[in-house]
Amino acid sequence: MDETVAEFIKRTILKIPMTEMMTILKAWDFLPENQLQTVNFRQRKESLVQDLVLLCESKRASLRDAALLDIIYTQFHRHQKVWDVFQMSKEPGEDVDLFDMERFKSSFEKILRRALKNVTVSFRDAEENAVWIRIAWGTQYRKPNQYKPVYVVYYSQTPYAFTSFCHLKSNTPLLSQALTVASNHHKIVKMDLRSRYLDSLKAIVFKQYNQKFETHNSTMPLQETLELDMHMDSRIIHENRIEKERVQRVTQETFGDYPQPRLEFAQYKLETKFKSDFHGGILAERKEPLRCLIKFSSPHLLEALKSLAPAGIADAPLSPLLTCIPNKGMNYFKIRDK
Amino acid sequence: MEWANDKSKGGVLAHLERLETQMSRSCKNLEDPPRETAESDLGTKIHKLRCLRDKLRAEVKQRQARIKASTANAEPDQTLEISEQEAVGGKEENMKAILQAYRFTGLSGKRTSRGVCVCISTAFEGNLLDSYFVDLVIQKPLRIHHHSVPVFIPLEEISAKYLQTNIQHFLFCLCEYLNAYAGRKYQADQLQRDFAAFLAGPLQRNSLCNLLSFTYKVEPQGRSFPFCARLLYKDLTTTLPTDVTITYQGTDASSTSWEEQRASHENLFFTKPLHQVFTSFARNGERLDMSLVS
Repeated sequence: MDETVAEFIKRTILKIPMTEMMTILKAWDFLPENQLQTVNFRQRKESLVQDLVLLCESKRASLRDAALLDIIYTQFHRHQKVWDVFQMSKEPGEDVDLFDMERFKSSFEKILRRALKNVTVSFRDAEENAVWIRIAWGTQYRKPNQYKPVYVVYYSQTPYAFTSFCHLKSNTPLLSQALTVASNHHKIVKMDLRSRYLDSLKAIVFKQYNQKFETHNSTMPLQETLELDMHMDSRIIHENRIEKERVQRVTQETFGDYPQPRLEFAQYKLETKFKSDFHGGILAERKEPLRCLIKFSSPHLLEALKSLAPAGIADAPLSPLLTCIPNKGMNYFKIRDK
Repeated sequence: MEWANDKSKGGVLAHLERLETQMSRSCKNLEDPPRETAESDLGTKIHKLRCLRDKLRAEVKQRQARIKASTANAEPDQTLEISEQEAVGGKEENMKAILQAYRFTGLSGKRTSRGVCVCISTAFEGNLLDSYFVDLVIQKPLRIHHHSVPVFIPLEEISAKYLQTNIQHFLFCLCEYLNAYAGRKYQADQLQRDFAAFLAGPLQRNSLCNLLSFTYKVEPQGRSFPFCARLLYKDLTTTLPTDVTITYQGTDASSTSWEEQRASHENLFFTKPLHQVFTSFARNGERLDMSLVS
């Protein structure tokens, strides 16, 4: 086994937390069950890793096997990457998309290899007819860097692809081209949507975040929660009851009853002229637009926005610039004068 | 602010004192004469209110007595009311059950505060499959608020064509696509689940289940070489393939018997749902076994 491959496997296994070690190794399915049982999983991590690497050597693990382990690790720790979303489109009136996963994979790899000899491409099928692609980029003269790969997650017969953030922007056009051609699309555009939470991004662009529907089988619990508060203690009088109820109603109409998809920030780039009621202010005369950047950050931005009006911090309804985020599928905005 | 600066008169506190004495003097002038009249006015008012209260109390007592008397006679009326209520309640339960059962027609809906929530319940060969929802907002223009249609179903295309002009057609078209998708998915799932023994490798499929590629044997014991099947469903509103390609990779590929089998398989896949094709393979296998035994 190549030394670089051994080192790569060693570093990958070292990243795996002990609690997940067995699960990930089983998912990898490279070391058989009986061999894994011979390893002492209670020893210190460094020694355990050494034992495992020796086993991999004895089984002649290749770069391909190592890349697969890396994909599995990333699938378990997808939040460690920041994901962008690309949207593809077809010409109108095109034939039905007969997506063949094997053809997609070979076409994708072929396009990359044609442009760049030094590249490692690996695939792992995932649930819901999706595929995880791992790409380690090299250059014309340098071998691929296995420690800075890019991941692409693509659900077949959809126009969206999710890619992990890549420091090397120069390879993005090639990646975009490979994706577009291999998936039978014509154009590709990067969306203004970015987050660590891949599943939330999927929920937003696939429009799966609101899955509450009124049926005759279920009963809608309408103002229940508000009334409960009212009856908590009869000695408490709610002075602004009507206003509070209005705020609750408006918040529910805007944000719904469902758990919000998880985003960490929303960014607004303003390039607008200063608007003021006072004439003769310093900024009023300024002809150039002001440029400023406003960023809202939160561990769970949309839930935080949802709680602003009920907490009394903001007026309801909130600005549409904030509430349109999941609907428009954007969390980067550029606001200019019309 | 002139008084504050008027030091000759003693400053702010002195001024306030003067205002106070002025006030009390003027109050005394106003108070004394009207006090007595105000008191007597209040006294008469109190007396009037007391009389009114007593009158109302008496009336209430009378009414209560009347009601008690009438309820003693009115019991049979009450029981009639109760049975009517039960009848209405029963009808309501019945209605609710009927509305819930509408799901089985495949297309049902419920009014919402902003419009209607349509439920498309898919089925294939008498098996009830997944339900999909489209929540419509009744406004001009008609729009979809949210839905549970999978992203690979061309909902935008269908709604762009029909939603504004012909909502019936929109719903029927969407029903067609979803039912066909559900049927294809059902067939592929059945093949993977119930006939895995016949498959020589994994079943390749895609999101729409409109391209299936697999290698299969006619007998699970596998004495023969496998056939490779490639099924294309170019029409997304159907559950049977539009293109079928069967290839045989055995060494005696040229022999007529295998060619016959291949052709007959192709025909089977064109005309029957997947799982039925494999059921017939299984049955033929059983017949063969029986013939060997006898």
